[in-house]
Amino acid sequence: MAELKYAEAVRAALAAEMQADEDVLIMGEEVGALGGVFTTTKDLIEQFGPERVIDTPISESGFVGWSIGLAAEGFRPVVEIMFSDFVLLALDQIINLGAKVRFMSNGQFNVPLVIRMPGGGGTNHGPQHSQSLESIFAQVPGLIVAMPATAADAYWMLRDSIRCDDPVIFIESKGLYFREKGEVDESEGPRGFGARVARPGTDITVVSAARMLHRCIEAADALAAAGGPSCEVIDLRYIWPLDTDTIAASLAKTNKLAVIHEPVEFSGWGGEVAAWAAASQFEQLDGPIARLGARRVPIPFQPHLEDEVVPSVARIEATLSDLHGY
Amino acid sequence: MSRAAEGRAGAGGAAATIDVDQALSLYRQMVLIRGVEVEIETLHKRGRMTGSFHSSMGQEACAAGVCAALRQSDIVTSNHRGHGHAVAKGIPIEGIFAELFGRSTGVSGGRGGSMHLHHRESGFLGENAIVAGGLPWAGGAAWARKKRGLTDVGVAFIGDGGFAQGVTHEVLLMARYWEAPLVIVCENNGLAHSMASERLFGEPGSITRIVEATGVRSEFVDGRDVIAVAETAAAMVEHARTVGPAFIECQVFRVKPHSLSDPDYRYREKDAGQAWLETHDPILALRRRLGEDQGEALDRIDAEVAEEVAAASAAAEAAPQTPVEAALENVYLTAELNKNG
Repeated sequence: MAELKYAEAVRAALAAEMQADEDVLIMGEEVGALGGVFTTTKDLIEQFGPERVIDTPISESGFVGWSIGLAAEGFRPVVEIMFSDFVLLALDQIINLGAKVRFMSNGQFNVPLVIRMPGGGGTNHGPQHSQSLESIFAQVPGLIVAMPATAADAYWMLRDSIRCDDPVIFIESKGLYFREKGEVDESEGPRGFGARVARPGTDITVVSAARMLHRCIEAADALAAAGGPSCEVIDLRYIWPLDTDTIAASLAKTNKLAVIHEPVEFSGWGGEVAAWAAASQFEQLDGPIARLGARRVPIPFQPHLEDEVVPSVARIEATLSDLHGY
Repeated sequence: MSRAAEGRAGAGGAAATIDVDQALSLYRQMVLIRGVEVEIETLHKRGRMTGSFHSSMGQEACAAGVCAALRQSDIVTSNHRGHGHAVAKGIPIEGIFAELFGRSTGVSGGRGGSMHLHHRESGFLGENAIVAGGLPWAGGAAWARKKRGLTDVGVAFIGDGGFAQGVTHEVLLMARYWEAPLVIVCENNGLAHSMASERLFGEPGSITRIVEATGVRSEFVDGRDVIAVAETAAAMVEHARTVGPAFIECQVFRVKPHSLSDPDYRYREKDAGQAWLETHDPILALRRRLGEDQGEALDRIDAEVAEEVAAASAAAEAAPQTPVEAALENVYLTAELNKNG
């Protein structure tokens, strides 16, 4: 048991799987001597050598496709995209090949590949380094979309993803790398798919993930302290597969649903959760489904401007208060 | 040994020669590819096949010549015009026909069709319907073999259109950087759909020179001459096996329109394909070079292949259609994820 920062947990998971399985490779820009721009591969090249910790040229489409080739041959590459925004350069290889090759080949090939990328804001990197793109990947059959919110999940979800036989889009919250920390029990064992209740409550079910989860908990705590609603905050962990059972169990208790995420609200995955609830949990709902996502503008680099765009704690509180008052 | 195939110097000065048996084998491959393509076109025209179809007629010498240099364990990725590569790499043609007929006996279970032939057993990783999309797969897979201590090479077939894709440039650089055992074969058929490649790259051979500038060994070869292709490919595959990546620009000609529904008379002379075939057909060229004394053997090959194609096509068509449940299968290997929304 050790207390690790989120970035350290990622690194520890990589080291553990590299140790456990010689077929695990790390590839990406600056993952070698530099150790990753967010330190998530620090010193791994010294430990595992340049044959397994592989610096790539700045050719996202090329090296992601290359890693699909390695994966289809039985290696387990873990590819780092320096900022999730850069993954857009590799979408052809991910969506047209990696996600589909098992289907297209009728099971002759599978792709045990993890594509890690720091997503979201919170680090003042501006419009082309701060987007939340998970909803794009959740649309694609063949992919898994993992989004850890805690250090323990960064560790275990990454280990689970590396052991997974299908391609995983693993989106780390760059805003959590050095701010979020927690106990990581390396003897615990795989956690599997499924959401978890991050903060129990009785009045409103708040579905969130990744960096926004912490803002939801902060807002819930503030509301509770002020005598407001008791919010149950659910950490989805995976956008796909979507664990609706955990949400349904919570809704049976609270009868109110809010979905809060960092991607742009329009066409964001929150709409999928809301549509599912409207269609299958109608009898449980005592109010409208509240949605809150980023406004439909690019992400500005200054913190006070960014917080005007992505859900701030204040806007989350206001959304939940309104829903409680319905 | 015929005069034609005797004593040729291989590309790069290697002393590769093609003997008469090898020449007959190349002839058989070309005739087989031609037979498969003609049969598919006929079936489409009779309404017995659906889906898209990009004929490789006229380009047979490239597929046959390059794949003759490969072992079964070597790997190939191809593109939307990939039937010839699939045949030459050794996919049983009944499995190809069955895939195009949409039968569960098809090499991809009858769900991918013409542009999605995959056959791991024969080293044919797959076609790819995105131009140059299969290139990085070949690079990564070939490099994987090298990392495992094997001596297999990867061959990626692209077209002149594929040379315009950014990922081609990326893979060239990565292959050089990592000394991957990869041969990129660029079939320059002069047309990227309707765009003349001479306007984009310059005269044939220009692509070769662009690649040379990257430091990757690069050769230009006349794709009408299957012997020349086979010799060049042998040298380049050997280079990839022992040194590092290589590139072949193979000048070919697209006899048919881009696809079945393509009105190519809008951008080139009507019947340009037929006219070319009459004067430059690589199959007839080899026939002439092998000479009269091989006439009987060649006729026998023609007859055998015609029979083989007819039998494979009929058997493929007779197989049951892919069942509807198959549309939902093999998305994930992780069993609990096959929920299919």
